[in-house]
Amino acid sequence: MQVKFEQFAATSMLGSEDAPPRSNGELLFQRPWEGRAFGMAIALSKKGHYEWEDFRQGLIASIAEWEATHCKDDPDWDYYQRWLLALERLALESNLLNPAELEQRTAELLAQENQSV
Amino acid sequence: MTENIDRETYSAARVRALESLLIEKGIITGETVDKVIEFFEKDMGPFNGAKIVAKAWVDPAFKQRLLEDTPSAIAEMNFPRGMAGAEGEHMKAVENTPAVHNLIVCTMCSCYPWPVLGLPPYWFKDPTFRARAIREPRKVLQEFGLEIPESTQVAVWDTSAQIRWFVLPERPAGTEGWTEEQLAAIVTPEAMQGAAKVKVPA
Repeated sequence: MQVKFEQFAATSMLGSEDAPPRSNGELLFQRPWEGRAFGMAIALSKKGHYEWEDFRQGLIASIAEWEATHCKDDPDWDYYQRWLLALERLALESNLLNPAELEQRTAELLAQENQSV
Repeated sequence: MTENIDRETYSAARVRALESLLIEKGIITGETVDKVIEFFEKDMGPFNGAKIVAKAWVDPAFKQRLLEDTPSAIAEMNFPRGMAGAEGEHMKAVENTPAVHNLIVCTMCSCYPWPVLGLPPYWFKDPTFRARAIREPRKVLQEFGLEIPESTQVAVWDTSAQIRWFVLPERPAGTEGWTEEQLAAIVTPEAMQGAAKVKVPA
């Protein structure tokens, strides 16, 4: 029985609190960066940089951190913010990049953004 | 709302920073990420099940094969590799008719055949929903806006590792002469769960 990694990864989240938002049976990405973050997390695990279960546990933890300090119906709740946090933590933990370069690149991109506005 | 706009700009930049660094280091390529997203958007999803339903509506011989031997009928569909084998293996189609309306629930949602039916909605896994769907399916369907006449039997099927059920909904009136493509476009994931009927868009 051959299951594609993407299928395994998505199936593992079904019915759990870390399941991604969906609409009409398909994944729901409301902003382009959500899809990139989603794809990156799966791609890195698929390539063997970390275990998928480790990502899931990181995601569940980052969701729990939000829930510990916010009301359940807080309108600022954002699933992919939690996803992104779990992704960057695990990428750093797995030594795929270092915190300094991530901060620097983010700052550069934000500066470019400000210039173009 | 400035805080939210800032958070938005920051998140977009953060994702780009991550991806660009990982690409520069040769850890991933942009195409790797594209492929993952494409898999969910083009290969696996409710559009597969919709094609099966549409084919069954226009081709009575296919419909018969689908109901008698669902996996081999699905294998005829030329879906992306992996699907018929992994998820299609234990699939079983049940047909909605004036005599019986079928509803699917799942205890083990990890067995839900989402590559065909689409990702299940949140309420689907809810134990209360499942318990009520089994105990009082007519009432649950009523809450979904589906009035099932007393003369129609309601059958509830629990998807498990052994059998992954899917509903072949009734073809709506007013679709005579439609192509398979046109028909597939109106089949929803809910209809393939038995939680809705297929409707012709007004």
